[in-house]
Amino acid sequence: MEKSNRMTMILRRWGLPSVMLGPFVLLISIFFFLPVVLITILAFTNMDSAMRWNYNGLSNFKKMLSDPHIFEIINNTVIYVFFTLLINVFLGLALALLTTYFIKKETVGLAVRTIWMLPRISPPVVYVLIWLWFFDPSEYGVLNSLRSLFDLPPGKFLAENPMTAVILANGLIGASYGMIIFSSAIKSIPGDLFMAARVDGASHRSIIADLIIPAVRWPLMFVTLWQIMSLLTSYEYILLLTKGGPLFETEVLALYSYHTAFQNFEYGYGSAVALVLVLVALLFSFIFWKVFGMSKMIKASRIE
Amino acid sequence: MKKTMTGVLATVLVCSSVLAGCGKAEEKKTAGTGVSATSTPEVVTLTAQTAGIEKTRVDNLVQASLKLNEELKSQGKNIEVKVETKSFDGSWPDYVKQFMLASQSNKAPDIYAIGHEYVGMLADGNYIMPLDSLKQSKAYSDLFPVLWESVTYKGKIWAAPQDTEARPVFYNKGILKKLGWSDQQINDLPEKVKKGEFTLDDMTQLAQEAKTKGAAEFGIVHRPVDGPDFQALAYNFGAKLYDPADNKLVLDKKAVAKQIQYYYDLAQKKLIPDSLTTMEWKNVHQTVVNEKNLFYFGGVWNVNNWVSDAFHDQLGKVDVKWVNEHMGMMLIPAAEKGGKPVTLSHPFVYTVSAQTKQSELVTRLLELVADPKLQTEHNVKTYHLPITKGGADDATFKADITLGKVAYMSEYTTFLPNHEGFSKYSSAVFKAIQAVELGKQTPDAAMKDLEAQLKNDLGDQLKIVQ
Repeated sequence: MEKSNRMTMILRRWGLPSVMLGPFVLLISIFFFLPVVLITILAFTNMDSAMRWNYNGLSNFKKMLSDPHIFEIINNTVIYVFFTLLINVFLGLALALLTTYFIKKETVGLAVRTIWMLPRISPPVVYVLIWLWFFDPSEYGVLNSLRSLFDLPPGKFLAENPMTAVILANGLIGASYGMIIFSSAIKSIPGDLFMAARVDGASHRSIIADLIIPAVRWPLMFVTLWQIMSLLTSYEYILLLTKGGPLFETEVLALYSYHTAFQNFEYGYGSAVALVLVLVALLFSFIFWKVFGMSKMIKASRIE
Repeated sequence: MKKTMTGVLATVLVCSSVLAGCGKAEEKKTAGTGVSATSTPEVVTLTAQTAGIEKTRVDNLVQASLKLNEELKSQGKNIEVKVETKSFDGSWPDYVKQFMLASQSNKAPDIYAIGHEYVGMLADGNYIMPLDSLKQSKAYSDLFPVLWESVTYKGKIWAAPQDTEARPVFYNKGILKKLGWSDQQINDLPEKVKKGEFTLDDMTQLAQEAKTKGAAEFGIVHRPVDGPDFQALAYNFGAKLYDPADNKLVLDKKAVAKQIQYYYDLAQKKLIPDSLTTMEWKNVHQTVVNEKNLFYFGGVWNVNNWVSDAFHDQLGKVDVKWVNEHMGMMLIPAAEKGGKPVTLSHPFVYTVSAQTKQSELVTRLLELVADPKLQTEHNVKTYHLPITKGGADDATFKADITLGKVAYMSEYTTFLPNHEGFSKYSSAVFKAIQAVELGKQTPDAAMKDLEAQLKNDLGDQLKIVQ
């Protein structure tokens, strides 16, 4: 009797939370946590096209260190993440300021933001096709058509400056994410603060530097961290645009992991490369959490 | 509260029973072949898959199944074989990946058509079953003996050859005319190449002449992406790519250095388009068809490409007659005077999934599909070459003006190794060629990088020959 009573108690206490949270916990464990566990296991095996896993110690990591192209690939990853991040965050902030602070009319701001969101809701393949058409080396490419207006010969931009092309394509599409977050953060700043600033005769510059930026510090931090993580692991736009080439010029770690696993069928080695990425992402999270005091930022807004 | 829990439990129950039901339905579909006593024949469905535009590879299996059903009927067996065909669009690695993953989830097609060089990888992974009995089969008794090599791995036969092809060098007759060649000289060129009188150096020199005299924009064009053609040059310089005794891939340093030097020279002499390896296939075809280029390392099936798609600026799609009037086909000239010219064939083969429950019926189907008539149907439609003597003697095949000109090339052919790690070897060599062509590396540096890369990628699967 007592036992069933306790059961009812437990059910009453945990029943609703488990029904409400259960699906998400399940989803996160299956699609986020389990892959990391699998990658960690696979990274220490020699799994190849035969799909058999045999433990092979650290040899995948040794192979990575002796890979003649690994340093070029790491270098590419750093350049790619840094410059794309720069465009993502600053262009996102600039767009948010433009559409919320400078453009006072809400409908116009909304329209501009919607237009900027369009590439994000179109499939990556379509988005990249437009870039490919833009950079097409023949005289019919958009860039080369523009060049011909100034009597310049058709150039091979994608072959000669592949990394610039990759950063531009990724940076422009990524900016929309920051734009949305920053816009809503700026909008949540109480209007009387702006009025007070204006009564005091503050310039645009000081309103942005002394009022808006401090108020969006936490979203800035969040967007930066979020974009670092997603840029480290995203490769689909590079794969579609340059396939990592020519040679290894736009090959980044995430794409290299894909190529080793799904082109060379070295699943074990590919997992080892992916594991390095997971560790790097964890390291960044830790740095942001501790050094930049992100933990302090996840608190109620101090403005109100 | 209790209601919610009951609801959740009920949903889980319903879902799981639906899933279980699906599993059972699946089982039923593939179950047994036992001859039943009823008069309606038991239908056995076999699945066959191919990739690319050559759908005849699987359509021929459907044709063969009709014959098989007749045979079964006359033997008094109450079975009807149905062949379901599938075709894949995408790159070769993606195609293989799809088969491997399908096998992992027990959904592999019974018959899987693929380029022969994947046989090693698929055999090592237990994805396909050995087909040694085919060697004794009457249907394959007149198979060109070299083709058995292309499906042999670790001493066993793993597939039935389906077709083969020639990878000739196309030369533009119009450009040669502009250089003052007579019709007689132009038409004799393949013969001179065959005898080893016209060498690879002569080809380069002629390309240079065409370029300096303004007869052609480019001297030589090759494929823009990684592929078997590049290895034909390695064979031409005397390379051995595979050691069957040790089952190891070979890096023949002397020959591969010559191979890389060859492409470096082409780029230095500006005979190939700038950054050819970043060009689209479409642009390559356009360059070749529009008389902008003298020599093209192609494949006989390219005729099919030019006929099917509009590449010509004025004519759009060209016809076969036009191709034969404007282009000639020759072997890849020998590297040395008097040497043997080469070409490379990349036979397509039918492999049989290790999971098939109908191995006997599948084997009989593979015997029937080797029928010369069916071969010709595929060969003439898609510009490929027959695998058996019977196929080569077929009247319709012989009458084809394009194929008739390249049939002799089978005697000069070479193959890619059937080794599991070959795709890594091939892509590393391609990267080295790309590096020297784009002027990013000297041949020496590219060679050094290639060696380091191959050692790292292949480990003890590689043997280095100085």
